[in-house]
Amino acid sequence: MPSRVARPTSAKSGRPSKARSILRSDGQILIAEDLRKSYGPRPALRGLSFSLQAGRILGFLGPNGAGKTTAIRILTTILEPDAGHFVVDGIGSEHPEKIRRKIGVLPESLGFPRQMTGIEYLTYFGQLYGRPAADARASGLTLLEEVGLQQRAKSLISTYSHGMRQRIGIARALINDPVVVFLDEPTLGLDPRGQQELLSLVRRIARARSAGVILCSHMLSEIEVVCDDVVILSAGQVVASGAVTKVIGQAQQTLPQQNAVRIQVPSPLLAKARQLLKQIPEVRNTAPTVGKPDWLRVELADSAHGASSKQHINNRILQALIRAKIPILGFEAEGGRLQDVFMSLTEEAIE
Amino acid sequence: MSELQPAKGRQGEPSGRTLPTWWLVFTRELADLWIGGKALYLVLIYSMLLGILVYVLSFNSELSLIPPKEMVYEMLKNAMAVSLFISLIIGADSLSGERERSTLEGLLLTPTSRRQIVVGKFLAGISAWPAAFAIAIPYLYVVSQGDEVLGPAILWGGLLGSVLVPAYTSLGMLVSFWSSSNKTSYFVSLGIYMLFLVPAQLPGRAQTGAAGQFLQWVNPVAATNHFLSKHLVNYRTLAEFWTWLTSPVVFAVLSLGLLFLYAGPGLRLEGGRSSRLWSAVRRATGSLMLGCLILALGVSPALAFQGEAPQGSGLQISIDLDYMVVKTGDKVEFNTLVTNQGTQASPPLIVAMNIINLDAKGDVVDPEDWSPQRTQYIDSLPAGGSASLGWIINTILDGDYMVYMVLIPAPESQSATSQPVASSGIHLTVTPFTRLNPGGVLPYAIGGPIIVLLGIFLVFRLRRRAIDTGAPR
Repeated sequence: MPSRVARPTSAKSGRPSKARSILRSDGQILIAEDLRKSYGPRPALRGLSFSLQAGRILGFLGPNGAGKTTAIRILTTILEPDAGHFVVDGIGSEHPEKIRRKIGVLPESLGFPRQMTGIEYLTYFGQLYGRPAADARASGLTLLEEVGLQQRAKSLISTYSHGMRQRIGIARALINDPVVVFLDEPTLGLDPRGQQELLSLVRRIARARSAGVILCSHMLSEIEVVCDDVVILSAGQVVASGAVTKVIGQAQQTLPQQNAVRIQVPSPLLAKARQLLKQIPEVRNTAPTVGKPDWLRVELADSAHGASSKQHINNRILQALIRAKIPILGFEAEGGRLQDVFMSLTEEAIE
Repeated sequence: MSELQPAKGRQGEPSGRTLPTWWLVFTRELADLWIGGKALYLVLIYSMLLGILVYVLSFNSELSLIPPKEMVYEMLKNAMAVSLFISLIIGADSLSGERERSTLEGLLLTPTSRRQIVVGKFLAGISAWPAAFAIAIPYLYVVSQGDEVLGPAILWGGLLGSVLVPAYTSLGMLVSFWSSSNKTSYFVSLGIYMLFLVPAQLPGRAQTGAAGQFLQWVNPVAATNHFLSKHLVNYRTLAEFWTWLTSPVVFAVLSLGLLFLYAGPGLRLEGGRSSRLWSAVRRATGSLMLGCLILALGVSPALAFQGEAPQGSGLQISIDLDYMVVKTGDKVEFNTLVTNQGTQASPPLIVAMNIINLDAKGDVVDPEDWSPQRTQYIDSLPAGGSASLGWIINTILDGDYMVYMVLIPAPESQSATSQPVASSGIHLTVTPFTRLNPGGVLPYAIGGPIIVLLGIFLVFRLRRRAIDTGAPR
């Protein structure tokens, strides 16, 4: 997937033939070309184009209202685009029923029938995909084992925990052995262990099944860790896309230089750490990081520009904390993370 | 979690013996409705309502005087009304409820035809009717008291219910299809249900007037009730009243056609989007409701004030019955002949029936309780002309009665009067009829709901055995 980082630009008018022209090139299993959708006068998607290769995980990012859910619903044939075209494993978007045979989806808020057990649920959906009952049941049992729910196969889904429901939702998305799997906020509401387990599962889906995975998430760290590629949407347009490392690298070159670091320390020691860092002359200011209660944002003085100078100051900061026996749980330069790219690129839309 | 198996070739077209989507959806929905679902509880409430109704009919001394035929008709009418309500509610929840519970998206993501999903849901939706009708049969049996009306009641009730229930279910599903929330769907469905009840609430005269008759004829529920009443209670034949079956059949064809041909293929995740049609339907429903109300309020007074006309003479009235012994609840049919023996055409004529209790200590008779046709009207009779009128009396109370007719020539003007002519009388002796025994009805009244409750318990037990509840066994 070619990487690009761009500020929002006006999208080209798309025609189905464009997507068809790049069909089946480079092992791409999903190609979207200039997808557009409006709800009344309000445009939700303004020319979405990207592609996905087999065995890779693509992160779909964007602030609320950026058009992620609309994009997912179009690509999963729940909504029809106003313009544009997409192809899944060689099947054009004019054949939605055929596309649905090729994709697996875990929607953001998937409901479950109250009176069904896990295995009944998977068997039912297997049959809806055209499998005979015995075959669908066998596949269901295999999938339940794969997602770690074999012990609860005959329990009602209404008795499952949130994490278990997400896992059976993923199992359902895999019941037809899909070429492309769409996962919309799969880790939402899970505890850290649950998140880790689910992300491992997502990785295995892509690698072992050679399926392309589109992962929609607000958790930027999760996208950064698990995804190979990323598409960042803002106000219905793609503002960055490509391999995660390349997007971050290119953003660092194009975005204004940041002169700050972030340090994670245990919450009870935050005040002590701030006190200590203030005594370092090159530290201009320290403040808690918004949305991350145990992280400190340390703003450096203007004199701290330049790689060697930055490394010297970073060392001083770390040494000071170590001497004071304050455990350092995390340390990162601002501007070097996907979060920084995201914040910068979507700033306009949010404002 | 174990390692995921690498995909050994993607699944292509279905292979092996697969079941059609509509069947899969139907069986799934059936299980949802009947295993701890709303159908089970609605049918339980329904059986309790019928139990209460049958007990009230037999226990209340006034109500128990109603002839068995009318009791069967009342029972059938109520059983059908509640069954239609259940069908409408199930239909109203079928799509918008799934939207709200976020289960519709999963279904729409499968490569199945939207129409087949709708067909499956519809078939599950009408599943409450056979159960409800089966529950009603013992109650019909007990109120019929061995009357021959039971067979036709079961036949016609079953047939007409099987026309109206699918129509109501599809109507509920159509509302659900276009509703963005379940609350809206229920509210609109309830409004429609009330709308169909409007003609029954019209004042008596308005119901028998031309506009009232037309409203009843157009309304599928009122038309069905009218047909059942005439056929089961008044011995009218199918040939006489088949036209009253037109509106239920047309209503069913329309709503089923709209559901399967128009709405079904367009089933989507969001409701209420194609609001142009929906707005039109809502506007039409509102206008119809308003129209019915205006008719209800306007027709009755208009009819009440009609008819004052000039006087005539040389008129006679005779009856083809002199004396009859019947038992309470029997029907008495007779004819009157009105002749104009004068030399001029008569003015318009009014024939009124009177029933007098011959026992001075007996109850005063209200003829309207005894006959639906207390008064009949004749246009002007030419000189030497005659007109025959048919009458029906339902004998409500035992005793000795005199039935006679009064022929009233319409007065010429507001200030004029006319000379009524009385017929000979019919001496009617009504013997008592064995009433429904409240004690005998009680087992049915209580037994019905208990059997349904046992059924629910059994379903739960069987289900609990099939699933892993986590509890030690």
